[in-house]
Amino acid sequence: MASRPQLEAARAVIGAPTAMVDAPRKTSGAGAYTDDLAVPGMLHGKILHSHLPHARIRGVDAGAALALPGVRCVITGADAPTAYGVLPIGKDECALQPDKARYIGDNIACVVAESERIAAAALPLIRVEYEPLPAYFDPEAAMAAPAAGWLHDHRPNNIEKEYHHVFGDPDAAMARAAAVCRNRYVCPAVTHAAMEPHATLARFEPDGGLTVWSSTQVPYYLHKTLARVLQMSMERIRVIKPMVGGGFGGKSEVCPLEIVAAVAARRAGAPVKITYSREEVFYAHRGRPLQITVLETGAAADGKILAVRARVIQDGGAYCGYGPVTLLYSGALLGAMYDIPNVRWDGYRVLTNKPACGAMRGHGTVNTRFAFEAQLDELAERLGLDPAELRRRNFLRPPCRTVNGLRVLSYGLPECLEKVVAASSWRERRTAAAVGAPPAANDGRGPQRAEPASDPARRHGWGVACSHYVSGAANAVDRADAIHSTVYVEAAAPPPAPAGAASGGGAESDAAPPAVTVLTGTAEIGQGSDTMQAQIVAEALGLPLAAVAVIAADSAITPMDLGSYSSRVTFMAGNAALRAAQDLMRQIAAALARRWNCEAEGIRCLGGQVLGPSGQALSFGAAVAAALPPGAERLRGVGTYSPPKEAQGGDFKGAGVGPSPAYSYSAQVAEVSVDEVSGQVTVHKIWAAHDCGRALNPVAVEGQVIGSVWMGLGQALSEEMAYTRGGQLANPGLLDYRVPTILDSPPIEAFIVESLDPEGPFGAKEAGEGSLAAVIPAIANAIYDAAGIRLYEPPFTPDRVLRALKARAAAPAPGQAASAEQDQPEAKPGPAGGSPRPSHPAGAPPQAGK
Amino acid sequence: MPLPAFQLHRPRELAEAVALWAERGAAGKLLAGGTDLIPSLKQGLFAPDHLIDLGAIAGMTGISRAANGDWLIGAMTRIHELAEDPTLGREFPLLAAAAAQIASPVLRRMGTLGGNLCLDTRCLWYNQSYLWRQSCGFCLKKDGSVCHVAPGGRRCWAAFSADTAPALLALDAGVELAGPAGARWLPLADLYSGAGDHPLRLGRGEILSRVRLPAAAAGMRGSYQKFRIRNSIDYPLAALALALRREATGGVTARLALTALNPAPVLVAGLERCLAAALAADPPDLTAAVQLVNRAAKPLSTSTVPSDYRRDMVQLQARRALEACLA
Amino acid sequence: MTTAFTVNGQPRRLELDPATLLLEVLREHLRLTGTKCGCDDSSCGACTVLVNGQPALACTLLAAVCDGARITTIEGIAADGRLTALQRAFGRMGGAQCGFCTPGMVMAAKALLDDNPDPSDGEIQAALSGNICRCTGYVQILASVRAALAEAAGAAAAGAAQPDAAAAGGRRGFGPAPPRQATKPPAAHG
Repeated sequence: MASRPQLEAARAVIGAPTAMVDAPRKTSGAGAYTDDLAVPGMLHGKILHSHLPHARIRGVDAGAALALPGVRCVITGADAPTAYGVLPIGKDECALQPDKARYIGDNIACVVAESERIAAAALPLIRVEYEPLPAYFDPEAAMAAPAAGWLHDHRPNNIEKEYHHVFGDPDAAMARAAAVCRNRYVCPAVTHAAMEPHATLARFEPDGGLTVWSSTQVPYYLHKTLARVLQMSMERIRVIKPMVGGGFGGKSEVCPLEIVAAVAARRAGAPVKITYSREEVFYAHRGRPLQITVLETGAAADGKILAVRARVIQDGGAYCGYGPVTLLYSGALLGAMYDIPNVRWDGYRVLTNKPACGAMRGHGTVNTRFAFEAQLDELAERLGLDPAELRRRNFLRPPCRTVNGLRVLSYGLPECLEKVVAASSWRERRTAAAVGAPPAANDGRGPQRAEPASDPARRHGWGVACSHYVSGAANAVDRADAIHSTVYVEAAAPPPAPAGAASGGGAESDAAPPAVTVLTGTAEIGQGSDTMQAQIVAEALGLPLAAVAVIAADSAITPMDLGSYSSRVTFMAGNAALRAAQDLMRQIAAALARRWNCEAEGIRCLGGQVLGPSGQALSFGAAVAAALPPGAERLRGVGTYSPPKEAQGGDFKGAGVGPSPAYSYSAQVAEVSVDEVSGQVTVHKIWAAHDCGRALNPVAVEGQVIGSVWMGLGQALSEEMAYTRGGQLANPGLLDYRVPTILDSPPIEAFIVESLDPEGPFGAKEAGEGSLAAVIPAIANAIYDAAGIRLYEPPFTPDRVLRALKARAAAPAPGQAASAEQDQPEAKPGPAGGSPRPSHPAGAPPQAGK
Repeated sequence: MPLPAFQLHRPRELAEAVALWAERGAAGKLLAGGTDLIPSLKQGLFAPDHLIDLGAIAGMTGISRAANGDWLIGAMTRIHELAEDPTLGREFPLLAAAAAQIASPVLRRMGTLGGNLCLDTRCLWYNQSYLWRQSCGFCLKKDGSVCHVAPGGRRCWAAFSADTAPALLALDAGVELAGPAGARWLPLADLYSGAGDHPLRLGRGEILSRVRLPAAAAGMRGSYQKFRIRNSIDYPLAALALALRREATGGVTARLALTALNPAPVLVAGLERCLAAALAADPPDLTAAVQLVNRAAKPLSTSTVPSDYRRDMVQLQARRALEACLA
Repeated sequence: MTTAFTVNGQPRRLELDPATLLLEVLREHLRLTGTKCGCDDSSCGACTVLVNGQPALACTLLAAVCDGARITTIEGIAADGRLTALQRAFGRMGGAQCGFCTPGMVMAAKALLDDNPDPSDGEIQAALSGNICRCTGYVQILASVRAALAEAAGAAAAGAAQPDAAAAGGRRGFGPAPPRQATKPPAAHG
């Protein structure tokens, strides 16, 4: 028998590079996503969308559609009139709008037919009588709209919500600052574009119960909302989440099709499946809003940040959704990564006649972080400081609370910054160039040069930036007393071994039957939540990973979990899984302590065995059998997690958003080159270090970090939702909404920093969102380093870059091209004449308007 | 998204296809690789009763040489083959370069030369779903009466956006149209009408069957300059092809053509004269040549990328192409 | 109309509406749902399958046009129930996160490797440039293909390399598949 130290050394499920437990289902094509499902008698639904941006619905005549052979029924807003919404204060939308369409793409009716083809053919036969209303596509214009142009009667001036936060004395502190930068930043809307279009299959069972399969990140919200709209008890509804092809926040709110499919199934008396077309996915949206940020940062001569003042306007689109939460995040995390004693933040969430925004990876924090980290670069230049050094001088000193009451226990940001500074040879590069010299003096010859300077028009530059994110929202959106995660770990006694077979225990081969089953409500959406929980349970019970099976996200059999949003799963469900495994272990240990007449605390699970303090040993299966109460077939360990009170934030209005039990941190350096003739930016390399507390699975952590950086890169370089002057989304497809291809994607080198959070499972924190934000300012700062232009509006497409380059060339004194003293013109964004995308004068450098 | 219903014809002979096309053309579409047509059918841009697939016709693919030394390429030859064929790459590097930058690798294996030359013009107000087009009251090119790009006018400005066309124009290519009365050859430029809503000049029953590259164009230096936001998948937003040879006599043979800027691919007239003057200066002064190209381009707001930037780009491309080929 | 082709080696003869896409046949008629629909307009590559050994987008291909062809989907590449080196590498190296692009990505990579057993990174990137992945940033996808190549090289060194039967007989175009032995390199011109 192996010694205990040998077994200890062999365990290492945590921290070992681990293939996702569901990888074979993905790579073989065998795994079923919602649209892959078919049930007998299944009908197909197609939704009719509004072609007008704002209109009262006077009537819907479905007669001609119903007359088409193969059409079973047409449902409208009258069939599901109960309003819903993810926030208690924002239940302002219906699955099908009963009286008003509020954006092009709003949901009006649904045809249910025997085939998708018939349903599609029937759609244009539905006659809708509309009374057009004035429509607003620009948030600042919407705030000034007359009452006829208000999207919701209960939201005067189209302001969904506004908040005003003041911490410390920002005005007095700003007055003391040696350097102050003030700029206006405009980030156009971007969307998740998960590869799997949303799909839902709904079936009423013979007993009147409802089963819904849906591509959702949050089965629990869906479950609650179905109960609300269909007026059924939750117990009569079963929500199953099949495999989900990516979410990024886009499947975290209930989507209209999820309700419509259920309502349609009830009306049709048959199962109904609805799968969005890619265009419908764009209209369903719920992505990152257009955000206008007027930001002012003041620092002392030594680089200590004294005060930040921000005014944020978010263009939320037609419905509330997560809006106030998105807005609050833009303020709550603004001053929470560095030690900033004085903060003023004014936030406005505005309704416009465009697809509704919501949560997207880095929820609410990304656009503010871009503005802030880009502004720090200007501030560093003003102060004659290395931008990395400026950040160093403002680190938090945990354990601490930020000025807005966020508790910080683990803080790997300093190590993150050092890692990328070292890997990118940042210091050598900075000392090579004279600090504060005008950018023209930078010949672009850095140590990490990716290609020879064959093209004199192409200059290289380097930029640094940081970001962070929550490891789960400490407060649930709907109820203060929610248990955030519950996980069961079940173990059954093994079947009797066939004669001659080795006894159980060391279940080494893949073919070994699982020894335990994890039952969890978490939603695996590709981020690896099933694998993470299997690892934690395997580690805690001393079992190989293959001995752990995971059953997830089936409301009939798995316990409640709040879902896959706000990067909460590893921290919260991971803790619950750990506690469930420990609970199971306690039951086993208690039984064996009686049998072995020893202390339960001295009993350990290792290497598929349960070991006593004096050399006693049983295989895990035998130990389970020994611990089963008389007549019982299985043991169940139960673990729950809810964030501690100390991590739930302050008590001011809006304090509920931002608090988290732990925060991740990221630092990045970007190397770019800029073709100063064409304006084309090439990103050559990103170095990204992320403090995830503890990398439970380094392959998954690196995948998440690189994926986050890359998604931010898309927002930085090519992605934006472009609208026509009439409020049409000009690029509602993957051809023109330009997600980077592999040829547009630079090498991204990920560095894992492990700060070992005291409350995280095995020290772990989030890894899937926090690295997104930093890449946008890192690239902006690198572009400045390369070409001496400040860009205030992503994406940094060649036309925007060239416009800024031309403005620089036209400026009177090149060396002052980016003088941080100058305010930018406070030009209002508005639909530009013939240009189909938002064109903001503020996107040009300061002197453009002078 | 299911396709609307149609009848599919799969003729085995070109003559059979011509006869079908002559008979059904008014309510039909020709199907080559389908990479443009199938997405357009899904968007309801066409609702043909008949689809005539050219893929089963024998003898419409491949690269060969005519007796006079000209090169002949079957219209159903895949774009991928144009990009990969070593001989073509050596003799007509411009065409190979343009072909290699089309769409994505898998689309290059599906798409054909003939399909690319007959690509429908593109516009952000046109290449959209029925719902989308309904929301702006449709447009001049399809179901409507207004051009949203130039609302005052009666012209459609949708941009011709194929990559092989400018390369072939620069190489002085001709195209063969098989029709009910037999085949006829015409210069490629004559295939295009210049009208965005009816971009091709094809007679009743005519099918583009072959492309001829003159032997005289073999070995010319070439530069294909393409602007698109991503390095794959995207259509061009401004592109030009230059074929150039410095003759032993000291003169220059040069042709330059544009795409993705106008409703037709445009062969820039007067370039050789302009270059002769440019080369008389030392160093050569390309300003006038660049301006000549610039004047031929008519970028309008047919895409989400601003037209003024596309105009900047075409001038830059002209300069870079000329510098590359004169070097 | 009657359309006949082989799918993953199995002959199929189907009565189809001529407007039926290959993707519909695979997913709905044959229930081979491994091939995904991501964009439906040929912009994402999730529906990549092999037609006569060449990659093709099933969302943009009429099924009838494939009459006589040899079609291979993600379900058809594992041999004797064992995933190929490429599939295993995507699992091991993090090349599959949400998995939705994975079938198309694997098929595009397979088409490359069948054609070019020793590609450079640039050639791998070029071959996968029509396939969008929204999760990985492609770094681990490139690593997956490289890992599969390394495994194949190791196997070849061990004398265990097996020629990929599905790769033989590759030809361009979507019509009838030629007899297996009829492969020859593309004709030289001139």
